[in-house]
Amino acid sequence: MKACSKIFNVPVRQLAASSVLAGFILAAGPLLAAEAVPAQTLFEMKAHPQAEDFQLLDMDGKKRSVSALRGKVVLVNFWATWCPPCRREMPSIERLSQHLKGKDFEILAVDVAENLDTVFSFTGTLEPMPNFPIVFDSDSSVLKAWPVMGLPTTFILDKQGRVIYRAVGGREFDDPAIVEKIQALIAEK
Amino acid sequence: MRALGLGFRFGKISGALRQIYMTNFKFNFLEKILLITVLWLLVISVQAREVTHETNPESGVQTWELHDQGVGFTLMQITPDQARGFFLARGFDRAAVDYYATYCVFMTIVRNEAVAESINYKLSDWEFYSGRKPAGKLKLAEDWLSEWKQRKVAESSLIAFQWALHPSTQTFETGDWNQGMTTYALPLGSTFNLKFKWNVKGVTHESMLENIQCASETAGR
Repeated sequence: MKACSKIFNVPVRQLAASSVLAGFILAAGPLLAAEAVPAQTLFEMKAHPQAEDFQLLDMDGKKRSVSALRGKVVLVNFWATWCPPCRREMPSIERLSQHLKGKDFEILAVDVAENLDTVFSFTGTLEPMPNFPIVFDSDSSVLKAWPVMGLPTTFILDKQGRVIYRAVGGREFDDPAIVEKIQALIAEK
Repeated sequence: MRALGLGFRFGKISGALRQIYMTNFKFNFLEKILLITVLWLLVISVQAREVTHETNPESGVQTWELHDQGVGFTLMQITPDQARGFFLARGFDRAAVDYYATYCVFMTIVRNEAVAESINYKLSDWEFYSGRKPAGKLKLAEDWLSEWKQRKVAESSLIAFQWALHPSTQTFETGDWNQGMTTYALPLGSTFNLKFKWNVKGVTHESMLENIQCASETAGR
C-alpha cells in the first residue's frame, strides 16, 4: 500500500520528489541568472524607413556612401574610440565581416568627431584588426541625421537601403542570433 | 552579474508552466499546482528588486547596481582625476575640466534586461534625495553644453562631451542599453539617494537606490 499524505491523499514519495525538484529549481535559478550570457538582440523597426544617405571619407580618403551599396545588406555602426562598449564590440564586427565574406554584405563604421590618427592607433590594437571601411563623421552631421540616441548604435539595412534592425548599446555581432537575422536579409531577393 | 537574458528565461519558464499544466506526466493536480507555484516564485525572484554594491579593491572605485522589474541601473564612480583626464584628452582646457571635476560624476548604465515592451526615460525625471527629502535634479548634457558654448569650447570637444554624457532621453527595446556620465551638483564625497523613473506603455515606474557616495577629490589616487 502506498504511503499518502493524510491531508491531500498524495503519495508521499511523489510529493517528496516534487519538493526536491522544486528546491533544486529554486536553488539553481539565481546561479543560472548569474552565469547567463547577455541576450544579443536586434530590434526590428516597426516601419522600415529608407536610410538617410551620406558621403563620408574612409581611412584611405575614399568616398563611401550608403546608396552605393544598394543591392547589399549593410551594417552601419556609429562609434567613437572613447566609448567603452564601442571598443568592446569592434572585434565582433570584424569577425562578422569575416564570417560573411563573399556574401552580399557590407559594413560601414561611422566614427564620430575624431581624426585618422586617433582611430588608426586604436584599430591597430585590436585582434582581429578591422578590415571593413571606417568613415569619419567629423562634424557629427550624419549622426544627427540618423536616429541615434547614444553610442554605440547600429543599424542593419536591407538590399533596398531600408532600415530593418536597430541595436542600441554594445553587442557581440558574430553571435548566432544576430548572424541568422543578417543571413535571412542576405537571402532575400 | 545578472543577465540580459531574463526576458528569454521568463518566456521559457512560462512555456514550462503551460506544459506542466497541460501534461498528464506523472504529477497529480496538487503536485502540478505546487510546481507551478514554485516556478512562479522563481519567476518573481528573477524579476525582483536586487541591489548590489561593490568596491574595486585596487582603485577603491565604488559601483552600485539596481535591478528592478526587468530594468538594470548601474552607477560607477568617476573620480575627479578620471573626469579631468577624459576631457583634457577631448580638447577641454584645464579650467573647464577643473570646473567639471567639482561635480559628482557617475558612469551610468541603463539596460532593458527583460521588459518585452519599449521602456523610455528622461533624466530630468530622476531626482536625488538627502534622506527622504528631495535635494535636486541631475545636471543634463544640454545644461553643460550651453555653459561650454559660453566658454567658447571647440566644436569637436562639444560633440565628444555631448555623446560621453548619458542621453537625456532614451528608448530601449529588450536587450538595448546605454552608458554615459551623469552629473550631480553635490559635494565630492557626499552621500545621497537616487530615484530612477522610467515608463513602460505609459505607466511610470520608479525605484530608489540608497546611500550612493560621490567620489572624493582624492579617490583613486
